[in-house]
Amino acid sequence: MVGSSPQVEPNLWQRFLRLDPQMRWGLVLIVLIILLSILVPLLSPYHAERSADTPLLRPSFAHPFGTDQLGRDLFVRAFAAARLDLLLALIGVSIPLTIGTFIGAVAGTTRIAAVSYLWRTVVDAINALPFFVLVMAIVAMLGQGVTGILVAIALTNWARYARLARARALALRDVEFIQATRLLGYSGARTLLRHVVPNVYAETLAYGLSDFALVIVAIAGLSFLGVGVRPPTPEWGAMMSEGRLLITSEPWIILFPGLLLSITAISVALVAERLVGRSRGEFF
Amino acid sequence: MERPSELPQRTANEGTPIRLGGWVSRLAGNRLLQRLGSILLVTFGVMLIAFTLIRLIPGDPASILLGEGASTQDREAFRELLGLKGSLVQQLAAYVGGILRGSLGTSVESRQPVTQFIASRLPVTLSLIGVTISMALVLAVPIGILAAIYRRTWFGHLFRITASALVATPTFFSAVVAILLLAIHFNLAPVAGYRGNFPANLRYLWLPALVLCGVQVPVLARVLQSSIVDTLEQEFVETAIVRGLPRRTYVWRYLLRPSLAPTIALLGYIIGTLLGACVIIELIFNLPGIGTGLVQAVTNRDYPTVQGIVFVFGMIVVLVNTSSDLVSEWLDPRLR
Repeated sequence: MVGSSPQVEPNLWQRFLRLDPQMRWGLVLIVLIILLSILVPLLSPYHAERSADTPLLRPSFAHPFGTDQLGRDLFVRAFAAARLDLLLALIGVSIPLTIGTFIGAVAGTTRIAAVSYLWRTVVDAINALPFFVLVMAIVAMLGQGVTGILVAIALTNWARYARLARARALALRDVEFIQATRLLGYSGARTLLRHVVPNVYAETLAYGLSDFALVIVAIAGLSFLGVGVRPPTPEWGAMMSEGRLLITSEPWIILFPGLLLSITAISVALVAERLVGRSRGEFF
Repeated sequence: MERPSELPQRTANEGTPIRLGGWVSRLAGNRLLQRLGSILLVTFGVMLIAFTLIRLIPGDPASILLGEGASTQDREAFRELLGLKGSLVQQLAAYVGGILRGSLGTSVESRQPVTQFIASRLPVTLSLIGVTISMALVLAVPIGILAAIYRRTWFGHLFRITASALVATPTFFSAVVAILLLAIHFNLAPVAGYRGNFPANLRYLWLPALVLCGVQVPVLARVLQSSIVDTLEQEFVETAIVRGLPRRTYVWRYLLRPSLAPTIALLGYIIGTLLGACVIIELIFNLPGIGTGLVQAVTNRDYPTVQGIVFVFGMIVVLVNTSSDLVSEWLDPRLR
């Protein structure tokens, strides 16, 4: 792509340099965290789930983040946790994103009056409930653990994407190229899948990235409360809950995982904020 | 709030002829009635969600709670306690009927009414939310005004980037930092705990409220800033400047009042996020509110209590949403 059109199309690196600072720094941080989450557990002499040294060591050159109650190296654990948290958040975003976009697009294209009433009782009611509270309640019912929280997030969050997708689909109804599909005699399903869904998807995808910051914090939060990922597995929230009672004497146990979680959430949010603004500007 | 009697009066004053049968369309088009219908639908939806929750349990809840060895009789009694007796329609009717009579079922853990449990813990949570919102408004209004006026200077840029970063910071991390810095290092607040009524409990509430403000102030200030920027471009603001109005009148009546409406309309959303954030914050600061109650109920598998808390939280959000809509319409008549 870059080679076929020299000079005319700026290459990836030039495009990156032209991004505004907020987006550029956000992207740099995200890439850095992903790289470190792969490299640190690979190159470190310590194992994330086994004791490495004396328990409760202060941060030092050998252990940049210190060690925890069981003498495990927190530097390795924190970056091993990044892998798990990023993966879980990715799953936690993509399932409701896909389901919600589709349901919203269908609801926005049909002209059945009952849909709007059903919408208010189901989608508006789910959205009225605080996200974190509903997720916790569903986890209480489904059972604690990774599967429980992922299903709970999907059951709660699809409604947010659906609302966005329906609003977009309703607006699309009156746009010329959608009306043209009817004149061309396309079937409802073809219009929906080939023309409405792709257009709606662009917007829900941008929202999905900003949702990523929220979901990764929610997953860590649930594990912090003890209903998500279980302690021996390195995960930011679980690690923070292990350090909670030692906050006065050994604050680094709770600080470093929390710091990495915050940096991740902030850098994703910085990029997402720009993307959402941009996708809105580019439409039509 | 007085809108139904207000509307016809206004049309009469303007001399619009009232057509026969117009009341039917007016009744259907009445925004208050439409809003009421909307509230009822969402309320029913929230009730339905709370009702459905317990049915998500894989397997028989009675055997999960009592163990496999329980007798059939015990199990039956338990199913009745959980509201799982009879057909699905009968169960729903019983649940809705219970809520209409003011009952949210019985806690499996304490065998006390769920309403009693919620009533004992709700005041703490509501005080925390009240303190947070007052604090957030006090901080956000001046910051939002300054950020709007100085939006092209270093302050505006600093505000923009700090706000984005603060919104995304997980509250349980900022809580840890706040405890380490303000409670332990500077000894300005108790590390955790709760005691007393209104003035005395502020000692325990201000730090968690400040942490919650870390997320709410940027959101509020940003909305306020952008709506002030919008207002600044309106003609009536120019008119006010040309007329040489005193600065205070100008700022309050011409700049702030119409710009506050979107901020107030946001309160419903803010209450929603605060109720969610309270769960973790109350646990960290060890406050005996409804959030710690929810964590307890979830760990103890106290299903009826979880259902009750979900329903009450939903109702709070619906109520605040409606009233904040009404207030923002009062502040900015253009919204009506």
